[in-house]
Amino acid sequence: MQYDVIVIGSGPGGYICAIRCAQLGLKTAIIEKYKTLGGTCLNVGCIPSKALLDSSEHYYNASHTFAEHGIQLENLKVDLAQMIARKSEVVSQVCKGVEFLMKKNKIDVYQGLGSFVDKNTVKVTKEGGDIEMITSKNIVIATGSKPSSLPGVTIDKKRIITSTEALQLNEIPKHLIVIGAGVIGAELGSVYARIGAKVSFVEYASAMIPTMDATMGKELQRTVKKLGADFYFSHKVKTVENTGDEVIVTAENPKGELVTFTGDYCLMSVGRKPYTDGLALENAGLVADQRGKIEVDEHTLQTKVPNIYAIGDVIRGAMLAHKAEEEGVFVAETIVGQKPHINYLLIPNVVYTWPEVAGVGYTEDELKAKGIAYKTGSFPFKALGRARASMDIDGTVKVLAHKETDEILGAHIIGPRAADMIAEAVVAMEYRASAEDVSRMSHAHPTYTEAFKEACLAATGNRALNA
Amino acid sequence: MSQIEIKVPTVGESITEVTIGSWVKKDGESVKRDEVICSLDSDKASFDVVSEADGVLRVKAQEGDVLPIGGLICVIETSAEAASAPASTPAPVASAPAPVAAASVAPATAAKIVEMKVPTVGESVTEVTIASWNKKDGDTVQLDEVLCELESDKATFELPAEAAGVLRIVAEAGSTLSIGAVICKIEVGAGSAAASAPVAEAPQSNGQAVTANASNDSYAAGHPSPAAAKILAEKGINPASVAGSGVGGRLTKEDAIAAQPQTAPKPTPAEQPKAPVAAPAAPAPAPKAADARGQRRVKMTSLRKTIARRLVAVKNETAMLTTFNEVDMKPIMELRNKYKDKFKEKHGVGLGFMSFFTRACAVALQEFPVVNAFIDGDEVVYNDFSDISIAVSTERGLVVPVIRNAEKMTFSQIEKEIIRLAGLARDNKLTIDQMQGGTFTITNGGIFGSMLSTPIINAPQAAILGMHNIVERAVVVNGEIVIRPIMYVALSYDHRTIDGRDSVSFLVRVKQLLEDPTRLLLEV
Ligand SMILES: Cc1cc2nc3c(=O)[nH]c(=O)nc-3n(C[C@H](O)[C@H](O)[C@H](O)COP(=O)(O)OP(=O)(O)OC[C@H]3O[C@@H](n4cnc5c(N)ncnc54)[C@H](O)[C@@H]3O)c2cc1C
Repeated sequence: MQYDVIVIGSGPGGYICAIRCAQLGLKTAIIEKYKTLGGTCLNVGCIPSKALLDSSEHYYNASHTFAEHGIQLENLKVDLAQMIARKSEVVSQVCKGVEFLMKKNKIDVYQGLGSFVDKNTVKVTKEGGDIEMITSKNIVIATGSKPSSLPGVTIDKKRIITSTEALQLNEIPKHLIVIGAGVIGAELGSVYARIGAKVSFVEYASAMIPTMDATMGKELQRTVKKLGADFYFSHKVKTVENTGDEVIVTAENPKGELVTFTGDYCLMSVGRKPYTDGLALENAGLVADQRGKIEVDEHTLQTKVPNIYAIGDVIRGAMLAHKAEEEGVFVAETIVGQKPHINYLLIPNVVYTWPEVAGVGYTEDELKAKGIAYKTGSFPFKALGRARASMDIDGTVKVLAHKETDEILGAHIIGPRAADMIAEAVVAMEYRASAEDVSRMSHAHPTYTEAFKEACLAATGNRALNA
Repeated sequence: MSQIEIKVPTVGESITEVTIGSWVKKDGESVKRDEVICSLDSDKASFDVVSEADGVLRVKAQEGDVLPIGGLICVIETSAEAASAPASTPAPVASAPAPVAAASVAPATAAKIVEMKVPTVGESVTEVTIASWNKKDGDTVQLDEVLCELESDKATFELPAEAAGVLRIVAEAGSTLSIGAVICKIEVGAGSAAASAPVAEAPQSNGQAVTANASNDSYAAGHPSPAAAKILAEKGINPASVAGSGVGGRLTKEDAIAAQPQTAPKPTPAEQPKAPVAAPAAPAPAPKAADARGQRRVKMTSLRKTIARRLVAVKNETAMLTTFNEVDMKPIMELRNKYKDKFKEKHGVGLGFMSFFTRACAVALQEFPVVNAFIDGDEVVYNDFSDISIAVSTERGLVVPVIRNAEKMTFSQIEKEIIRLAGLARDNKLTIDQMQGGTFTITNGGIFGSMLSTPIINAPQAAILGMHNIVERAVVVNGEIVIRPIMYVALSYDHRTIDGRDSVSFLVRVKQLLEDPTRLLLEV
């Protein structure tokens, strides 16, 4: 078959790219090596993790806040098998949704491993070993990423696990040792802490979610600590050993001493690495860099071979589903000669703990490093009527605005529904709104988003109304 | 700090507007007196503008902008401080509107009123009528936004705002104003709090790129919305060249849709960092690739737009019609054959047909002065000389250099002058002077094979002669059918001044002189 575009990988980058290509009138095929479409995000990433986060949050509220709300419960217990089954059902529904979208947009789906034969030809090796050759003018690599590990640590998927296994455990860990307190560690650590596991975070950096604004990490640590978690920062993990019934983690503490942690499960959440295994990049004249990334042109997302593009986790930048999606649309439009834009600074980061964390734009440290004069406006959720009503009073909104122009340069939120609230900051910043602009826009009352408005007022002239 | 405004000079009587061709110097750059700062194009020629003083250049009109005579091109700031200001951080110009002050900054406003007057639109134009207002009283207007349309007896032109601010209309649509009368006022910086300081300090953001657009000091002026950014990139338009109608001068999607590329879009290196030779980045979308029935849209050049507007204006504003005749070219051809070698030997130029036609017209024009005259207001201006414009086709379009005092010239002088002017025309080196002031025009469609056509008058002239191809035709001479080389000639004329008797007689006289060239010698 001859196509205008072949997309390899059906994650949020790939499947969105395919749909946009089809919308633009290009004859499009998508190749996925797994049986279900949707990639990491739908199968073992964003969607299942959010399903378990919601379930575990309900349990946590039932056991901790319902009584205060005036709801009495007896014999409350976790049915982990049901939680996992519901999660699997959610996943299966969203994956079928993608399948439907492929049909609707007349995109040919090839199930099998895609590998390059040359720069225009891809070989699809199906499960039974059958082979099919397809050719195309353009090829988009969207093969995503896989969990990475540390030297000296072998993931056995039994007790030493990645996020993928953590999404389908048969039992609630008694003591879960989470190596890496980044986004995935914080989320999955929260899931098990809420349903009764003892959770210990061992982290090389000195704070949680170290890539986000420092205030967020500190606040998040305070609230996760309430779940009964312990934190071991500035610890360098040396070895992890599965002794059969236990895992023993050995790490070097800040003083240079070796310390050990013993638990029944160890979640390796130290990041993800770009995935290009089996792609046979060399046949197309491409190589991945030392970290496995595919190099692309900053302005076109073309690889060194101009008819081959790469998007999502397999290239530079944040490993986020919505970033992959933007790049998928970008490439489709670029292929037909349009001139789309992506403003990478305004791709929000999100963490679905409770309270949630979300940030966009510059962090305070980045502004300092760049020497940009800024002012800060903060507003705590505990001063907000809506948060009082729902008892979600942890967290704060922090707005960073340019000292002279008042332009919003960064927005960082930890609080209820922060991941949804951040969209307002993105819109405002895409239009280069000033903090005062936002404070002069009506926000429905009572809502969580009023906190953003109040923080903007605080940034504009230290005149938050409810603080 | 003093400022010198550089305005579009009066470049020729029939020229009412010019287009900024290109800036040699950049906004904020230091310039020396007499240094060339930009080039202007009119429909007739290009010329350079030089700085009138040493100082810092503040560009007021962008490349491709069309300005009326007297329109503001730029300002030269002539002070020591200004001269030393670094080019990369344009200081706010005193005449620029006050910045939209951030709330934390005390709002300061420049209370300045710019009076906009009827510009000098041409030597012969003494009054204009306001055709329509595009903006309402009290509207906020951007620099260079078109405020209203003015009509003179010659043409319609647009009045761009000389400053950004709030519009106060003085003269309503329909009113007739003389040159120099006030049309409207712009309250610069109006809209914010009452003024105290005459000049506001523009807050300069060091973190963000400050647009060089001095007309709007909001840090976000010229910032395109995401959709606008894509549309502008696809049109190849630099957002900095578009006036934003959004809050603080932001570019909305609508602004981007309405934006016109002002010069041929050159892909800037930043936008197209990679231009693979085979351009695989942009294969045609499938539907387009189906077959080759493509369409192309190419922007009209400013010369083409001016020509288009002029031609329509002439058709609308004159009572033009055409009279025809035929010329038996046999006598001229015989004469030419007989003397062309000798002529060439003696004068160093070939003996062509143009000298015969030019001479014949020059003589006939002296005999029919009204054909050699034009209307100016309520008067008719008669010319004692025959300055004959010759239409020359060049790559940029048609240009019309003038042969002066053709009535006094010999055949060889005319031939030499035509060669000289045509050469200058093709090299794009004709000056305005060489193209203006003609009293009559000759155009030769015959060189492209035209049998018969009705040329359009070269305003403000009253008539134009069209030459055509020479074809052997069967004609009757002295009761016998003979084969003769015949050229049809056409005279388009403005019936407002030239009566049928004069125009027809003129053309008959030209025919007579051409069919019996000895008359040219004997002046009979
Ligand atoms: C636990 C977890 C939670 C997450 N939560 C969030 C979140 O809340 N929000 C968020 O934005 N991001 C989240 N992410 C990150 C998000 O999942 C990724 O950024 C996103 O999936 C990247 O999309 P992609 O299209 O680049 O690649 P992927 O989604 O990884 O998809 C790549 C696909 O390509 C297929 N493939 C690879 N090689 C081949 C081949 N040779 N032939 C055929 N098919 C191939 C793979 O099987 C896979 O299906 C989470 C990730 C994890 C692990």
